[in-house]
Amino acid sequence: MRVIGLRPRHLVGVVALLASACDRSAAPESTGAAVVLVGQQATRPIPTMMEDAAHRTTANTDVADVLFLRLAAVGPENTTSGDAGFQPQLARSWTRRDSVTLAFELDERARWHDGTPVTARDVVFTFDRARDTTLSPTTSQLLRRIAAVEADGDHRIVVRFTEPYSEQLYDATFHVQPLPRHLLGAMTPAQLDSSAFMANPVGNGAFRWVRSVPDQLVELAAVPDFFLGTPGLSRVVFRTVADADARINLMLSGEADAVAAPVPPIANRDRLAAVPGLRFIATPSTTVGYLLFNPRMRGDTSRPHPILADVRVRRAIRLALDRRAMAQSAYGPAAKVPYGPVSRGLWISALLPPPPDRDTAAARALLAEAGWRDANGDGVLDRAGKPLRLTLSVPAPSAVRKQLALQAQEQLRAVGVRLDLALLDGPVWAQQRAAGDFEIDFSSANQDPTPAGLTQSWSCRGGSNVAHYCNRTVDSLMDRAIVALDGGADLWKEVARLVEDDAPAVFLYSPVAEYAVSTRYDDVVIRPTGTWSELWRWKVPAEKVVARDTVARDSATAR
Amino acid sequence: MGRWLVTRFVQALVTAAAAATLLFFLMRIAPGDPLVRLDDRPLTAAQTAALRARYGLDQPALRQFATFLSGAARGDLGTSIAHGRPVASLIAERLPATLILGGTVLLLNFTLGLWLGVRQALRNGRATDRVLGILSLTSYSVPSFWLALLLVWLVAVRWRLLPAAGMHDPLLPVGAGPGAGLLDLLAHLVLPALTLSAVSIAATMRYQRVAMIEALALPCVLTARAKGIAERRIVWGHAWRNALFPVITLFGLWLPVLVTGSVFVEAVFAWPGLGLLAADAVGSRDYPLLMGATLLVSAVIVAGGFAADVAYALVDPRVRHR
Repeated sequence: MRVIGLRPRHLVGVVALLASACDRSAAPESTGAAVVLVGQQATRPIPTMMEDAAHRTTANTDVADVLFLRLAAVGPENTTSGDAGFQPQLARSWTRRDSVTLAFELDERARWHDGTPVTARDVVFTFDRARDTTLSPTTSQLLRRIAAVEADGDHRIVVRFTEPYSEQLYDATFHVQPLPRHLLGAMTPAQLDSSAFMANPVGNGAFRWVRSVPDQLVELAAVPDFFLGTPGLSRVVFRTVADADARINLMLSGEADAVAAPVPPIANRDRLAAVPGLRFIATPSTTVGYLLFNPRMRGDTSRPHPILADVRVRRAIRLALDRRAMAQSAYGPAAKVPYGPVSRGLWISALLPPPPDRDTAAARALLAEAGWRDANGDGVLDRAGKPLRLTLSVPAPSAVRKQLALQAQEQLRAVGVRLDLALLDGPVWAQQRAAGDFEIDFSSANQDPTPAGLTQSWSCRGGSNVAHYCNRTVDSLMDRAIVALDGGADLWKEVARLVEDDAPAVFLYSPVAEYAVSTRYDDVVIRPTGTWSELWRWKVPAEKVVARDTVARDSATAR
Repeated sequence: MGRWLVTRFVQALVTAAAAATLLFFLMRIAPGDPLVRLDDRPLTAAQTAALRARYGLDQPALRQFATFLSGAARGDLGTSIAHGRPVASLIAERLPATLILGGTVLLLNFTLGLWLGVRQALRNGRATDRVLGILSLTSYSVPSFWLALLLVWLVAVRWRLLPAAGMHDPLLPVGAGPGAGLLDLLAHLVLPALTLSAVSIAATMRYQRVAMIEALALPCVLTARAKGIAERRIVWGHAWRNALFPVITLFGLWLPVLVTGSVFVEAVFAWPGLGLLAADAVGSRDYPLLMGATLLVSAVIVAGGFAADVAYALVDPRVRHR
């Protein structure tokens, strides 16, 4: 075995390794470690119990996805519609009994990390909790089309739905990760917070919980007899580093193995690409960034906005912006301009046409048609003595949005639109946005993996529809698409076309999710719907083992 | 002396209480709602109302203040809105890292800094004084954010001599032993401590040099020399004691660094201290966490002033008999 990449600071680990020299003959099959850099510490990585927004963090979700399996996982194509493409996890198979009933057969080899078998009672217990509107107000809403979840023996679960629709399998598998009934069944929510389970979660995934050092790391160790296969890594450390530059430095110095979202800024891509031993992996992202128009008056939503209520102005602004150049300036060449509010992570995005390019002549024509002319020759269009002047609310903590806002300001100036930028402190921006107190808001959304999630922001009744966009035809199409048995691809395409045509927003960018990962790993799989859930498939070939892999193996063995 | 001490202590308490009260009400006036999250699922009106009730935000500001005071008196600083955990636990988790970094900086500052300042004064006008003067002026002028980035790039990224960030090697084996653990901690401590110390040592050196030069010219020092007392005793026993006043002031001012940390240095070096936690609390309008951090910091700032006053009295009898 060749040990490479030994540096002075590794001496500490090597010395410790030599001092605690273990019996190599007892080494497990899993070899290697992965230090994954994250921006936040996972403090409560318990799935299906993240109702409080303080707990519903990416950090908690990422670790929960490694510790706890689902009945089945959304496949690499990210298709949430229909029964195809899903991959077995706790359920080894599923059958459709009728249009409203699915039966899952649990894999009898599945075990909790304390050795107890995973049974149908665990699944029913978790669904009961998740569907309880008091305990789980958010998750129960997502599961509203599930009428009943019942155990049929120890290893069969029957899920009944309220109506036939195409995303039944997705609803039954994505929102709920089963929890151990034998550990939690007798516990009240109040007891849970101070329970041993909360301090040391017992999952059923390929890695088990080892320890958490507040604001520093969460450590997991491989489960050697994991029923889906032996994990390739013996230890995974989620290292908490809040500062993005510090994360890049740790990658550059070789102290970490993987990091999510190193870009933006795109300069980081060049810095990391210059280091041998690192590669980039991209997956579709469900992020979409857009300039959201408020067609109503700030502070008085009963009155139309004198400028933005006119769809011609909104379309002109969209045509005046070079969205492709803007997106790529922030996220690099892989970034695309979305068609309508559809991020690349949604399966319907592949069906949509490319959005129109910048056309300043057409933008000027539309503005002229709407009555905007530069009567006083000051470079800003006006109508009835009032200038075409708008304010864009930008969250100051977002460097990308600040950068793109400046570009938008400059590009709109070319067609006679004056755009003032209001850089707002994060909570102030969020408060004003939630109250609809803005003219144009620079928004960014992380969408649910299903197109059904579009209803939140782009339907008349949507809870996130802060700009009051309302097109009854769009609502009707979405309602039909959600329950369409074929997935409703054509209906979703028409939804996107109508929203694009109504121009309630300028949809600016839909980036890919990028990850920088050390090249010493083989079989690297990163899923759009569970970034690190496939870590157990990663392997370190013998010729690429470094000092910390052996330290990690010995340490994991010693526990 | 006793009455003087009590008076100073009461003044210190009043100052700390005034700072905490001011901040409590300023935060309530500032725009921004702690319950409106960035990029999160929107809360229903009922959920928002429940959260407001849970954190007492539905109460009038005066009642919230009374609740805070009564909780603080019992050691209960409330629950962080952003973290969903007790504020006292969050602070307790971060405090050791902050104390280690701040303590190291203070230690370097008031050992190495003082010693170098005295050396400069003793070599006043000579090459040693000039070289140390240029060095201290340079390090005082270097912005700490620039120094931090430079050190990381050179020492950690290019030369790979020390860790780039963090407080511990996450892969250090549990059975590595306390020696290896301490070595690992020291390796992680070097760069952030060096960054923070560079500026503070320079300031201490310059204060100490000037005070010592003045002290060495005092009549008592001349008398001691005339009496033939050993030079070492003259320097440290007579002159240095008279040169301590500005240093005591400086110590009082620097003491809060023990708990305040440095937001930038903590960020660049991923040092899990209180500074970044407090800064995040401002950004998220996490009132309970911000109040907890403020209470701690204001207490230490006031304690620093109080400790300096006591030190003056100990060093100079004129102060305590005034």
